[in-house]
Amino acid sequence: MRILLAEDDPDLSRQLKQALSDADYAVDHAPDGEEAHFLGDTEPYDAVILDLGLPKIDGVSVLERWRRDGKSIPVLILTARGAWSEKVAGFDAGADDYLTKPFHTEELLARLRALLRRSAGHAAATLSCGGLRLDPRAARASVNGEPLRLTSLEYRLMHYLMMHQGRVISRTELVEHLYDQDFDRDSNTIEVFVGRVRKKIGPDRIETVRGLGYRLIPLEGEAESA
Amino acid sequence: MNLRNLWGRPSLARRLVLLAAVWSLLVLVVSGLVQTTLFHQASVMRFDDDLYADAQSLFAGSSVDDQGQVDAPPLTDPAATRAYSGTYWEIGEPAAGRLHALVRSRSLWDSELQEPPGGLAALAAAPGKMIYYTTVGPAHEPLRVGAMQATLPGRKVPVIFMTAEDLTPVEASSKRFALETAVSLMVLGVGLIMVVLIQVRVGLGPLYALQREVADVRTGKADRLDGDYPAEVEPLAAELNALVAHDQEVVERQRTHVGNLAHALKTPLSVMLAEAEQHPGPLAEVVSRQADAMRDHVDHHLRRARAAARSQAPRERTAVAPVLEELAHALERIFHDREVTIDWRCPDGLYFQGERQDLLEILGNVLENACKYSTRRVKAEATSVGIDRMNIVIEDDGPGLPSERRNEVFKRGERLDESEPGSGLGLSIVDELARAYGGGAVLSHSSMGGLRVSLDLPRAES
Repeated sequence: MRILLAEDDPDLSRQLKQALSDADYAVDHAPDGEEAHFLGDTEPYDAVILDLGLPKIDGVSVLERWRRDGKSIPVLILTARGAWSEKVAGFDAGADDYLTKPFHTEELLARLRALLRRSAGHAAATLSCGGLRLDPRAARASVNGEPLRLTSLEYRLMHYLMMHQGRVISRTELVEHLYDQDFDRDSNTIEVFVGRVRKKIGPDRIETVRGLGYRLIPLEGEAESA
Repeated sequence: MNLRNLWGRPSLARRLVLLAAVWSLLVLVVSGLVQTTLFHQASVMRFDDDLYADAQSLFAGSSVDDQGQVDAPPLTDPAATRAYSGTYWEIGEPAAGRLHALVRSRSLWDSELQEPPGGLAALAAAPGKMIYYTTVGPAHEPLRVGAMQATLPGRKVPVIFMTAEDLTPVEASSKRFALETAVSLMVLGVGLIMVVLIQVRVGLGPLYALQREVADVRTGKADRLDGDYPAEVEPLAAELNALVAHDQEVVERQRTHVGNLAHALKTPLSVMLAEAEQHPGPLAEVVSRQADAMRDHVDHHLRRARAAARSQAPRERTAVAPVLEELAHALERIFHDREVTIDWRCPDGLYFQGERQDLLEILGNVLENACKYSTRRVKAEATSVGIDRMNIVIEDDGPGLPSERRNEVFKRGERLDESEPGSGLGLSIVDELARAYGGGAVLSHSSMGGLRVSLDLPRAES
């Protein structure tokens, strides 16, 4: 397993490198954002540990660039700033997990293991439908290359619609797929989520078929090529 | 302008209205008195002219016979022939310093007209000149008398001609005039005060507008004062804007300082923790424990400083739905291993009266706590309550919290389950922040099995 560690503090870098090597990971170290971006772009890492307060290019920008280029390496963010506004910004940029300084090395290793397990678990191929892309491996979706921010219920809805694109899917079927058995299923739940997804991917992509359900429609001409 | 302001404390409006009222009252009363007096004088003067004409014709028509007896003119005013009619005349002569009537009008019957106030000497001093005075007539009416001393040809002793007329009609018309004047001046006075009230209201209008704008800035509906103010108020508005800007700057600077200090400490703490872990032993244990404690203190005071700074200036408003969505997205990734689903509902156009960072902090901590203890599912529902409050309920399907332990949650740094990762500060800062916004958090049992956190927060107009 090959890990990229992007951290500017020399003491912390040395300690983390040591701890990661002890845990049998191959570790590359980048002391600033520029090098981190370059390494992440060119080398095939299994995961990245990214400090947000990097010199030259900050961590969030590095992450955004990778995600915009379609890189879906799992990224664990390290930062001193523990406020939710900063955490949310990190996840918005495409982070997979988050650890606030100061932390115990054991916790970092545990999170890293979970991250690697997560990305290995999904082997399904990328789904696409006229500009919409969905990567089940990284649980990410994008529209025309722009990363989409989906909550898990929205992601499940998109996933199901894309697996069955072109077909009309009834509300009951969607509810059953979205929720576990014990969830309360009020009838307007699906409308709420369809509404939210429409806002994100464009209003025309999900067609309401009156009395029957919903259908994801490929854009003309793009359906085959995508 | 309400009554409390008008009477409770020094008031510009009251000052202006009172000044105007006192001044106009004074002017109106004086002018009323002057007008009435002038009217009365003019009436009496006209009256005197008539008396003079009568006296002249009496003088011209009188003659003296051989015995020195005075003959009055044969025909005078018919009114003078009716007893006590109010129109009188008399011709007399001074005798031993007193007036002795020679001839008099029938109307006088057998009474006589009074001498002038200065006595006969006053008449003698100015022969041929009319002297007017007011006295009481034979029927006890107010009487205006004109008297003149003259010498008739053929008579050595001077003769006094007197004519008199009842003053009652003049007094009556003067009274009527005074009354009418008073009424019309009172109407004028009331009108003036009303005009002053309107003037004050309109004139002080910019101040009321300023007050509304300052309130808007305070409640977060506006960033600064934007109104177009008259030259007198404009400098005040400009100063207020400068004060608001200064205030924001100071708060921002303090926040940055506290943040920088706290964050600067965190990397060294990480290094200490990692170093301690690599060299196990009693020293490492102490360092590790103390570094953890320091982290908790830094976090706690960092958040408190933020909460205190925020509560002073809740000028912003924040849409709730995007905040819930971002948090759901982030937390579902954090708790990806446990496949926690956050089902959130929020009406569009629901706004929190406060800063985005604070709403993220409040909801982030509650949701994180819910995710931490949930089995698979977390529910969040935001609803508006009235026009200026909202309620956000966050529930999970975890094991929940016994009611007797719920109060402990809000104690500083309380950590109910030491085995859970995280500082345990989450819910106490939630309550602190919510209180800073005049709200609060209430814990109870959820029908889903776990903990139910109900947050009361201020809502902004959409």
